[in-house]
Amino acid sequence: MTGQFYTMGVDVGGSYVKAVLVDYSDHPQIIDKHTEKIRKRNPADVAEELVNFLLQKNGLQYEDIAYLASTGEGEMVTRKKGHFYSMTTHSKGGEFLYPGAKTVVDMGALYVRAIKIGEKARVLDYKMTGQCASGSGQFIENISRYLGLSIEEVGEVSMQSNNPEVPSGICAVLAETDVINMVSRGIATPNIIKGIHLSVSGRIIKLLTALKAESPVMLAGGLAVNKGMVQAISELLKESKYGYEIVTHPDAIYSGAIGAALWGGFRHIKLSKEKHAFA
Amino acid sequence: MSKEVVKEKSMVLQKEMLAGLFKELSQAHETGKKVVYTFVPGNLSELIHAFDMLPVYPEINALQSGMRKNSGAFIREAEKAGHSEDVCTYVKCDIGMMLNGNIGPTGEKLPPPDLLLLSYTGCFTFMKWFENLERYYPGVPVAMLHTPYQEGGKITQEMRDYMVEQLRLEVIPKMEKVSGKKFDERKLAGILENSARAEDLIVKIFDTTKNKPSPIDAYFAGVYYIGPINTGFRGTPEAVIYYETLYEEILERVRLGLGPITPEGEMEEERFRLVVEGPPNWTSFREFWKLFYDMGAVVVASSYTKVGGMYDYGFRHDPARPLESLGEYCMNCYTNLNLPQRIDLLEKCITEYQADGFLVNSIKSCNSFSAGQLLMMRHLEERLGIPVGFIESDLVDPRYFSYSNIKNRLDSFFQMLGQRKVIKGQLEIV
Repeated sequence: MTGQFYTMGVDVGGSYVKAVLVDYSDHPQIIDKHTEKIRKRNPADVAEELVNFLLQKNGLQYEDIAYLASTGEGEMVTRKKGHFYSMTTHSKGGEFLYPGAKTVVDMGALYVRAIKIGEKARVLDYKMTGQCASGSGQFIENISRYLGLSIEEVGEVSMQSNNPEVPSGICAVLAETDVINMVSRGIATPNIIKGIHLSVSGRIIKLLTALKAESPVMLAGGLAVNKGMVQAISELLKESKYGYEIVTHPDAIYSGAIGAALWGGFRHIKLSKEKHAFA
Repeated sequence: MSKEVVKEKSMVLQKEMLAGLFKELSQAHETGKKVVYTFVPGNLSELIHAFDMLPVYPEINALQSGMRKNSGAFIREAEKAGHSEDVCTYVKCDIGMMLNGNIGPTGEKLPPPDLLLLSYTGCFTFMKWFENLERYYPGVPVAMLHTPYQEGGKITQEMRDYMVEQLRLEVIPKMEKVSGKKFDERKLAGILENSARAEDLIVKIFDTTKNKPSPIDAYFAGVYYIGPINTGFRGTPEAVIYYETLYEEILERVRLGLGPITPEGEMEEERFRLVVEGPPNWTSFREFWKLFYDMGAVVVASSYTKVGGMYDYGFRHDPARPLESLGEYCMNCYTNLNLPQRIDLLEKCITEYQADGFLVNSIKSCNSFSAGQLLMMRHLEERLGIPVGFIESDLVDPRYFSYSNIKNRLDSFFQMLGQRKVIKGQLEIV
């Protein structure tokens, strides 16, 4: 370790940009974090705004950041020093949030990916949902919009369900048709949304079994902050008698950004040592 | 700005060969040459040549239309005519092309068939395809060669006898009638000599990927390399010259330690070596290839290049046993193998060509290829412990090529391949 310094991680996802500021040392600490929905803007501009926001809020200049790292679709982040693959950043971030995790599930807007990790969050293997949108966070967002719910309230509403109605788990288009039909049949919104969560959960559990995942399984990514989703996975696991221990963290949405900041710190030290060696 | 593709001598030769064939086809009516419509897997090119007839391969026309961005409109045309969205898109592209005046991929009109030669292997859609063509071309004779599936994982003497009997009693008599020529077994044997020479060369060509770096890409470039042997030139002296030229060019690349030529330029660093199962997507072929090029991924073996004939295990057309070897050829095509055989073959490819990973491109509308691919992938993953990837696209229906979805999945696959190299100490962690 060569002293203490700041790093920043920026994770550009399908719907949100997430950024964290880390005080990097032998025991790194998250100093600040922020998310911003991309909406119809250029993700590079959103990322830039987010970096400036965190710097200003914490009284820092860009030069104070030893390493600004991007991940996800963040290759376009203009002031980054390096880019890290999202599989490695989610693993690192997931393990940071829940030390001892052996599997990290990155549940994002576009897909879900279960990653088996080893010592020092090293990626050992992975499994990913198929191309159909029915295994993605965007699918849940689309259904929520149709039902008149904001993405923030989806989890709570789902947890009010008493008789979930599960749609087709194979195809997002079929599932949407199912939902339209459920609405016209008068099925209560909590039961529809819980059914959607169960449907996506079924896909996630399939990934875990195909991966031969090991516990603890850390749920990360944007979908992990949806309490209804976490509850649905836990319930379905219990029902199907798979003995996975499911854990998550309030900062789970930042797993990629945290991982990028941590790998950024690691790389900064390495580069500094190389510089000294050649000096 | 896209770069100009560097043309090697073999590429020019192939282009001339194909242009010549399509020219000959467009003039068939005037020259009186008879035309046989047939399929690539289990194609009886040598027999067609023995009767001085010309072949038309509807799948090749479809894939060429796909690469020229014409297939989408043809498919919609066929769907308007009543073909379902789930039907093989090669079929719909072909039928749409016919409904649009049967103008071939080179812009020249294709002649109608004088014979429909259904020598299908492993794909039952072929039968339905020619049932449709029979309706569009009423009165045209159909010769059907039923190739027994290798359900038991081997070719028995009964299977050979069955194939020879069909050739003697069904296929050859119809060809004699259509061409007006008597079957000449010695002429066929002479043609088969050239086939065997081309086959020797193609095995050597695909074996050059054992070099590091591999001098060729056995999938994206491989589909061009199998062009002459699969488009009716097998058995011709031109095909032998083409493969000799190509082999010399590749050996030169090996000597110079060069990687494959791609449309984006030469692959400078070989980061990952892959084995790929399944046909490529044709409508976005160049974009698809670029995704691999950008990651330094080279395909060192692919099952698709074996679909029109498999010569890896020593099979060669044999002038001493002409009809028997034609039958064996048909039964040996990749999609006529059972799943355990396909898994063993892929395992051999992964091991012998030292691949880092295995990737499936599952084709939405091709049952003969796609059935069993998940099982195959799981077996290979368990046997070899290598990273595996699964992407989905289609042959020639542009609606089923989702760039972002494919890129997302390939990104994860390549990340995993990189991580395995980190674990093995072949790459640094960051």
